[in-house]
Amino acid sequence: MKQRSVWEWIADQLRSRSMWMLHYCTGCGAIELPPSMTARFDMERFGINPMATPRQADIFLITGYLSTKTLRRVIYTYEQMPDPKYVIGFGSCTINGGIYYDSYATINRLDLYIPVDLYIAGCMPRPEAIFEAFTTLMEMIRKGEANGWKRYKENYEWYKKNQLRSLGEVYVHDEFHE
Amino acid sequence: MNDLILVLMFGSLASYALSKIKKNIGSWFNFFVLLYVSYMIYKTGVGTEEKFFSFIPGFESVLSLTHLGKFFALVSFLIITTVSLFIPVWIEKKIKMAASFNLLYLLMSAGILGALASGDMLTFYVFWEIMVLASLLIVPMGKEESRKAAVIYVVLSSIGSYMYLYATFLTWERYHTLKFSEIAQGLLSEPSNGFKWLVVFLVAAAGIAKSGLFPLHTWLRITHGNAPDTFSAVLSGQLIKMGAYILAVSLGVFPSLKMFPPLYGGVPAVNYVLIAFGAVSIVLGTFMAIRQNDMKMLIAYSSVANSGYIIIGLATLDSVGFAGGLFHVFNHAVAAAMIFLSFAAVVYRTGTTKIDEMGGLIHRMPWTFITYLVGIISLAGIPPTSGFISKWMIFQALVRKGMFLTAAITFVGSVGSFLYVFRPLAGVFLGQLRSKYKDVKEAPTFMLISMIFLVLLTLYFGVFPGGLLGGIVKVQKELGIPPIQFEGTVIKTPLGQWDTFTVFTMFAVGFIIALILYFLFPKPRKVDLTDQYTAGEYLYTPDLYHYATGFYRFIERLYDRHPSFEKLYEMFSRFFKDIGEGVDTWFYRASSSAYMFWITFVMLIIFWVRW
Amino acid sequence: MVALKVLAVLSTGFFFGLTLEGIGRKVTARVQRRYGPPWYQNFIDLFKTLTKHPITHGWIFDFGVLMALGGVMATLTFVPLGNLVAFPNLDNIFVILYLFAVGALGMAMGMVGSGNPNASVGVARALTQMLGYELPYLVVLSGVMFHYKTSSVSAIMNAQGDGWNLFKMPVGAIVAFISLLGMLGKKPFDTPIAPAEIASGPMVELSGKYMGLLMLMHTFSIFVEISLFVDIFLGGGNYLVFLLKFTIVWIMAVLISAILPRFRIEQVVKFYWKVPLSLAFLQVFFVLMGWVF
Repeated sequence: MKQRSVWEWIADQLRSRSMWMLHYCTGCGAIELPPSMTARFDMERFGINPMATPRQADIFLITGYLSTKTLRRVIYTYEQMPDPKYVIGFGSCTINGGIYYDSYATINRLDLYIPVDLYIAGCMPRPEAIFEAFTTLMEMIRKGEANGWKRYKENYEWYKKNQLRSLGEVYVHDEFHE
Repeated sequence: MNDLILVLMFGSLASYALSKIKKNIGSWFNFFVLLYVSYMIYKTGVGTEEKFFSFIPGFESVLSLTHLGKFFALVSFLIITTVSLFIPVWIEKKIKMAASFNLLYLLMSAGILGALASGDMLTFYVFWEIMVLASLLIVPMGKEESRKAAVIYVVLSSIGSYMYLYATFLTWERYHTLKFSEIAQGLLSEPSNGFKWLVVFLVAAAGIAKSGLFPLHTWLRITHGNAPDTFSAVLSGQLIKMGAYILAVSLGVFPSLKMFPPLYGGVPAVNYVLIAFGAVSIVLGTFMAIRQNDMKMLIAYSSVANSGYIIIGLATLDSVGFAGGLFHVFNHAVAAAMIFLSFAAVVYRTGTTKIDEMGGLIHRMPWTFITYLVGIISLAGIPPTSGFISKWMIFQALVRKGMFLTAAITFVGSVGSFLYVFRPLAGVFLGQLRSKYKDVKEAPTFMLISMIFLVLLTLYFGVFPGGLLGGIVKVQKELGIPPIQFEGTVIKTPLGQWDTFTVFTMFAVGFIIALILYFLFPKPRKVDLTDQYTAGEYLYTPDLYHYATGFYRFIERLYDRHPSFEKLYEMFSRFFKDIGEGVDTWFYRASSSAYMFWITFVMLIIFWVRW
Repeated sequence: MVALKVLAVLSTGFFFGLTLEGIGRKVTARVQRRYGPPWYQNFIDLFKTLTKHPITHGWIFDFGVLMALGGVMATLTFVPLGNLVAFPNLDNIFVILYLFAVGALGMAMGMVGSGNPNASVGVARALTQMLGYELPYLVVLSGVMFHYKTSSVSAIMNAQGDGWNLFKMPVGAIVAFISLLGMLGKKPFDTPIAPAEIASGPMVELSGKYMGLLMLMHTFSIFVEISLFVDIFLGGGNYLVFLLKFTIVWIMAVLISAILPRFRIEQVVKFYWKVPLSLAFLQVFFVLMGWVF
């Protein structure tokens, strides 16, 4: 692990205390997000807000299973986000396929396609588990260990090879106008 | 004055001959002649009287330059000369009958100079008609609909001109003089109120028709929209100001403040009617402009609104309001010329004027964009350009006098102008670059020089308005209105004051602080314009990303069904056409014996009436 | 001397504005029966955005953001904060209001230059909303200016020694407060931003330092708008009293926005041109008749 400069250390302290989440709910795990945001388990007190566009978001939550059709768009959205960015795999489906492990249309392991910083096991994880994950992510950022975005840039060809092998092409077709 | 008009008139013939050789040479000749004439006007002293020639025995027409005339002449010739620098490159591609264009251009300038320098009503009328004739013959050289546009233009303009001619005859009969100053004396001591109202209104009617104020505004849209592009710049920037000049004459030179008792806020009833016309023009121009899809017609409607501002400023006739009206004359002339010239450059390169067919032209024509941007900042009245100064003065005058309804309408006009000027900015220059305009080039150099000159002029007068304000003070002293106070760059009014230079400096300071903050933080990465957030989908044709059709559809729906003056005038014209056709079918037979019959019939009637 | 005062005005705007925004978020959270973020959260948000690696769509994108921030900072230097006036005698109301438009125009230009249709829709809505709220506000202000025969903000502020304009012209103060809600862009008038409808509207393609600079511009703009309201209708006062009144007005605006949903854009314009505009003309009529308390 390279030693961080002072500015990077300050920046990481700031980033850990104000994380903005991309409100992109991919699978059925997204149902656990509204309770985390509302009054009972308040997410805003940690500085975490939902944001509408990927251009302003830091955290990308992959909630639940990912079909191949969604994976193309997830890769495209991930590349639209500015650095530094963190991905959290949410639910067992991102770890080993979960209850859809033998489906032809979903992927089994998210780590092969985009770099993941943290996984949350469970089907679905309750809001308490979500908060434990966020606090762990904040600790990782403060220690300088959440480097998924650097890994993506360094191992770009390996990730692309995996994506092409599973998806055939990462190109998103414009079905309405072709 | 005499020799300048003759130079222009004979110059037009020379330019015709030169253009027959090569189109460019005539236009360059125009430019140099106009440059010489503008310099000589700047040098001419005020108050010199020269005899021109006499139409009626025992009466000689006099050319005398007043301060008001000199101010308008300098503004007009500034616009005409700058546009004539734009023309030589443009005329190659765009105009077929370039020789007559150049001839009529100089003839029109001669008419303008004569009208502004004339000291009596008949000379003014003669030069006015020369100017209308010359501009009338240039208008049909544009698109196909411009022939109909020329007819509408001349009909509405002649309504004003004939009313003015009637006023000339009335005053000749009553006072046996045609000079402006002597008529003013006569009107001051005139007992009959109705006569005074009639004369002032008839003279103002020419101004109303020419500047496109409320009842006679329908010709602006179709004429400016379809005339040749650089001529739209002259039409909107300059010919409308001739209407403002005759309005200033009818209100200032015929001193309405002394002729009539004040009605409200120290303003007599005649002025109040004109202010009401101006207010309706502002509302009408602003809301009609928001709906337009063709960029030239949009700015044509904005000229209606700005003429409303000018008449409101001029009709208040007090130190701040009148100065605001005159300043707005200069501002609107420069801003409208800038905007129309940038449109001319865009049409020169792309060939269309519809907003939703274009887009993203800033990446190919950045200097044209800058001209358009400064033009709209000035038109919307935002500091630090000069457009804000005139609007500020008009607002102060209205609030001080307590004319709240008119003030509310001017605010509507000012805020509404942000809306309609933003539409071509977003639709034509910003947004996505359409695939068919990928290879468009920047406008040619001489066009850019004339446009950037106007940009620099508006920025200079926005920060240092002293030169213009000095000229306006001279006009106000001549007309007997208390002059506006200013020292250096601070403009003072009874209601408040501000300093143009400080505003500009603070704006520069703020910009520099923002620039420092910008450079302190990480450098950005440039992405393609089609790489947008679209919720994960991806569209491959840039045309689909461009939002320009129905830009303000949600507000246009609020006034979709509105009464229309164009339909009213069309109804009148159809009425007269039907009468004509009726006469045609009843009395017209295409045979020589019928002609003989009708000629003898009419001559018998004339003899019977005569005896 | 002038430079020090300008610096004081700008720093007040920066520190106080961001702190109050954080307190506003806490108040909204308490209304919704939860804890909120700490009061310094907005500072952290701002600095975090300044450390990310942004993307840009062209020179007009950069220039628009710079012009927006520069324009609003220039406007802020002219506004009197109680008795801290950087440029005495030069704080004309119209100059302040129109200098504000430079910032708005710069932002609109830069945002549309990003090429995203959501941004153009958001900007069109923002301009239409401006047409809605400016008219009653300016009519009420012309009434105030006519009554005091001056258009300088500090002169109006000092002339309220015998009673605030809130009590002298109550109808006008209510209309100005409703227009203020429209200017701040808080619910029910946050149609231009509308996160769920048009993906944040004009701010859809902003990332990194552009977002940070625009957040700074937003903070400064709400500071200017509320300061004008406090100076003209609540009597200004010395520096600390001014900040206290500022806080109270801001918390009232936050409380109203915490419970109301959002208008559609034509509902905004129709609303502003019916009730507030007629009340504004009523107030002007009272001023003309001299019925000022």
